[in-house]
Amino acid sequence: MIHKTSPEMGGMGHSVKRKEDLRFIQGKGNYVDDVRLPGMVYGQMVRSPYAHARLKSVNTEKAKKLSGVLAVITGEDLAKANLAWMPTLSYDKQMVLATGKVLFQSQEVAFVVAEDRYTAADAAELVEVEYEELPVLVDPKKAMDPDAPLLREDREQKDNHIFHWEVGDRQATEQVFQKAAVKASVNAFFPRCHPAPLETCGCVADFNRATGKLTVYMTSQAPHAHRTVFALVGGIPEQNIRVVSPDIGGGFGNKVPVYPGYVCAIVASLTLGVPVKWIETRSENLQSTGFARDYHMTAEIAADREGKMQALRVKTLADHGAFNAAAQPTKFPAGLFSICTGSYEYPTAFCEVDGVYTNKAPGGIAYRCSFRVTEAAYLIERVVDVLALELKMDPAELRRKNFIPESKFPYKSSLGWTYDSGNYEAAMKVALDKIGYAQLRKEQEEKRKKGDLMGIGISSFTEIVGAGPAHTFDILGIKMFDSCEIRIHPTGKAIARMGTKSQGQGHETTYAQIVAQELGIPAADVVIEEGDTDTAPYGLGTYASRSTPTSGAATAVAARKIRDKAKKIAAYLLECSENDLEWEPGKFFVKGAPSKAKTIQEIAFAAYTNIPPGLEAGLEAVDYYDPPNLTFPFGTYVCVVDIDKGTGEVKVRRFVAVDDCGNIINPMIVEGQIHGGLTEGLAIAFMQQIDYDESGNVQGGSFMDYLLPTAVETPHWETDKTCTPSPHHPFGAKGVGESPNVGSPAAFVNAVVDALSHLGVRHIDMPITPWKVWNVLKEKGVTS
Amino acid sequence: MAKKQLVRVKVNGRDRQAEVEPRLLLIHFIREVLELTGSHIGCDTSHCGACTVLLNGKTVKSCTMFAVQADGGEILTVEGLIKDGQLHPLQEGFKEEHGLQCGFCTPGMLMSSYALLHNNPKPSEEDIRWGISGNLCRCTGYQNIVRAVQFAADKIAQGGAK
Amino acid sequence: MPLKIEKTFEVGQPIEKVWAFLSDPRKVATCVPGAQITEQVDEKTYKGAIKVKVGPSVTDYTGEVQIVRLDPQNHEIEILGKGQDVRGRGSASMKMTGKLGALPDSGTEVKSESEINVVGILAQMGSRVIAEVSNIMFGEFTKNLQARLQQPSEVPAGQADSAEVKPIKATSVAWEAAKGVFRKKP
Repeated sequence: MIHKTSPEMGGMGHSVKRKEDLRFIQGKGNYVDDVRLPGMVYGQMVRSPYAHARLKSVNTEKAKKLSGVLAVITGEDLAKANLAWMPTLSYDKQMVLATGKVLFQSQEVAFVVAEDRYTAADAAELVEVEYEELPVLVDPKKAMDPDAPLLREDREQKDNHIFHWEVGDRQATEQVFQKAAVKASVNAFFPRCHPAPLETCGCVADFNRATGKLTVYMTSQAPHAHRTVFALVGGIPEQNIRVVSPDIGGGFGNKVPVYPGYVCAIVASLTLGVPVKWIETRSENLQSTGFARDYHMTAEIAADREGKMQALRVKTLADHGAFNAAAQPTKFPAGLFSICTGSYEYPTAFCEVDGVYTNKAPGGIAYRCSFRVTEAAYLIERVVDVLALELKMDPAELRRKNFIPESKFPYKSSLGWTYDSGNYEAAMKVALDKIGYAQLRKEQEEKRKKGDLMGIGISSFTEIVGAGPAHTFDILGIKMFDSCEIRIHPTGKAIARMGTKSQGQGHETTYAQIVAQELGIPAADVVIEEGDTDTAPYGLGTYASRSTPTSGAATAVAARKIRDKAKKIAAYLLECSENDLEWEPGKFFVKGAPSKAKTIQEIAFAAYTNIPPGLEAGLEAVDYYDPPNLTFPFGTYVCVVDIDKGTGEVKVRRFVAVDDCGNIINPMIVEGQIHGGLTEGLAIAFMQQIDYDESGNVQGGSFMDYLLPTAVETPHWETDKTCTPSPHHPFGAKGVGESPNVGSPAAFVNAVVDALSHLGVRHIDMPITPWKVWNVLKEKGVTS
Repeated sequence: MAKKQLVRVKVNGRDRQAEVEPRLLLIHFIREVLELTGSHIGCDTSHCGACTVLLNGKTVKSCTMFAVQADGGEILTVEGLIKDGQLHPLQEGFKEEHGLQCGFCTPGMLMSSYALLHNNPKPSEEDIRWGISGNLCRCTGYQNIVRAVQFAADKIAQGGAK
Repeated sequence: MPLKIEKTFEVGQPIEKVWAFLSDPRKVATCVPGAQITEQVDEKTYKGAIKVKVGPSVTDYTGEVQIVRLDPQNHEIEILGKGQDVRGRGSASMKMTGKLGALPDSGTEVKSESEINVVGILAQMGSRVIAEVSNIMFGEFTKNLQARLQQPSEVPAGQADSAEVKPIKATSVAWEAAKGVFRKKP
């Protein structure tokens, strides 16, 4: 039961204004590049211009001679300490600094350390590298050809295949397809894009020779995991490493992997005994850090003539770049892609994914993807629309016909997931009513008669977040629990620390609200800390919308442990039995005699000054929460577009987003997350791609070519909600940060295709640029 | 290395000076020499606007200027918005309307909005969106930033500080 | 990706004189800003170098120029040039065909078609910078060619203007690139 709290208390459901804002609006944030330590020096990478080449020599003499240069590290130097390669989060390995060959343009080749950043840049220019060009592989479809260049000579397996993964029932699905009355299919490419948080990646590595302690200030979404990786890879005792993730200027998955720059800065600091700062430029960020997507997918649905879906078959080619550095749970090389059954009932389904290497930057899991759920949700929502066209059925009606009904939850999908709760019909109804669906379809009919182009796109997505239960989920062997530690002070204020790490999600406010809800201590009296591995309890960090489902749950459980002890103290103070007491946020009172009460503040004071015999002093608890299941937020998004026949430009006229993330902690923050995610989805659908030409040159390596929407391109977002709590979460919440990026690309693309479907168009790949649309219009004779 | 030059500027009302290389970018001068780290660096092609400050009353992207070009001028950074411990209505607006999430674009947004409101005290939504179109944000989708600027415009119109 | 550039220009000199000049890579090198031929390997192959300076950014390519086809009857020449930046900034290759035609006023028309492929940092700027740099270099080339052909004396073979490389002005590249946005692009 969730008690109501007052706005002053600030428990669940209140739009409490954010505590963290005060420092940011005054320019007093503490981001990694703001960290200034005495004696600090600067590092800069030297990078490969070639996508695939033998590294013949690295000449650092001229660079070393430049006044102000302290060191120039090469792959050969690192190899002596066994550090030229490092493990990735996918059990592959990645070069820290190149030895032998380079495998993607912008790959790290040498690291220059100098007294100031300008000298470091000058020195980087003086490093002379000799390369011998090798044939380049940029088309993943050619990666398995017999004559394809072999990229990874370091592996035992001498080809470019990384993994094959499959789930579901191949035979049963095949049988259904053979007899199916109706089949629809789509080849959908999800282009390589990049999260591009406004703050690039970087660190300040500070090894203190006098104490033997290494402190790394780092743009990290998972500080504890990074600390453990540094300990294992670097052979440094873990108690002597402190990772501090201060204020982070956006993460979106970009700050989960370990990058060569961090390792080089640490090595440099260990060698020189002074703090070494490494901050990458935007170009380096776009060209070498964790990209997102690059999935070549095919989906087929088998259905009967009335539109009842019978089977789903999915095949995907995953382009992982030169090293498999994707960050996902060990057992899932394709992340949670098997959620591709989406919001629908499929009696049988089969899904297979093959991952390959190419001469491109490494990565794959990023950009608010929930571990490949963005790819899965896009695919299923696209192919459902294609089926609707095939059946000449309204896309909303087709979806309604096949939604998993509310009564069937918890629902086990034919690809193995147990969805905790859902009510897809309700969310869709709110969305369609809000956008005025019936009226829009009428308008579309009229417009088509006049030759005008208008489209309505629906996306009824199901998310899967909150990784995850220990029996199935680990990253590099570390189970994906998360944690919270709460300590109440004598004066009734509190401090709580978690194993997650906010990059703008407002944890300093929302976690305090959970404590307020559970203990009745006003949110304003609760300090929240994350990111310092010396003080915060161990956790796996913030990404994949997991904070509320894991650490949020841990916070509630830890608070309830405190409440249990508080009850004992209250009973002692009130001289009654615990069974006589009732709780309301902020106090225990005797049943039937509400004036006989003790506030949580009085109880806290007593915990230090009037401790019941047999009880320890203090009022604190820690919880490491192992979630029993993932959570499944969902929603329906509807997008209305108008297309300019002359230019092919697509204008988003309206966008309604109805999200269901169960019980909400702070509605204002949820709305902000939706706005931000929808804007990223808009960018992905219409203007973003990191592409490579045949020589392996990056196209889209700076903001000149990799576009971010400004306030002018971004439309007005209309948001709404339904509430279907998670049955297994301590306060019924599900998490929501990534839902808008998961659900929106399909809504945009479905709308554009819907605008052109009467011309015979079934699919257009993203990014849907005006040029692409114009070419379609030209081909269909609509424009000249 | 070229001979260092003396740069004298008034920053947030205070006289500051330093000897710098002619190639030192203004953003590095502000962040590292003056130690005002509120202005940020978000790109290397002048697109993102995280480095926006006011120079002689006009917004500039300080990553695309040399410190020596600012010699003799007056600079206003985000640190200069607060007056006698009172938040500027824009700062209040960003807090009230949830106009920030990670906070990295916020100083640049504040400075661009500040200049916008000076030139156009009653901006429409379209005016505001154009006014901040030189500042990129990845977190908010801009909608609440627009609300924040409107909040400030209203408050200033009602007699708040400029 | 390969960038195709077609250029046609006129020289006020008789076709045989122009042919004699253009079919000798060493003489051609004297007209290309920043280029020099350093060695003749065999009949058809030469080693050379070219320094391309765009504002403060310098790339020093060393490599080979090969005459793939020489047709004095039809005044056609096809050459292949490949080079790598000495510091490891990238590489470039160019395949060029040139065809001369006599003009009625006893001048010569030179038609050239080139396919340029750049790998490395410059290539990330995309075709806009490469095309503009090529345009500017070509402009210099034709000017120099006109001048050299009009000179009565022979210039020592192999020498070039590399000693005094006039850097391509970054501002002019930027301006050209910006103008290019508004021109019709393929």
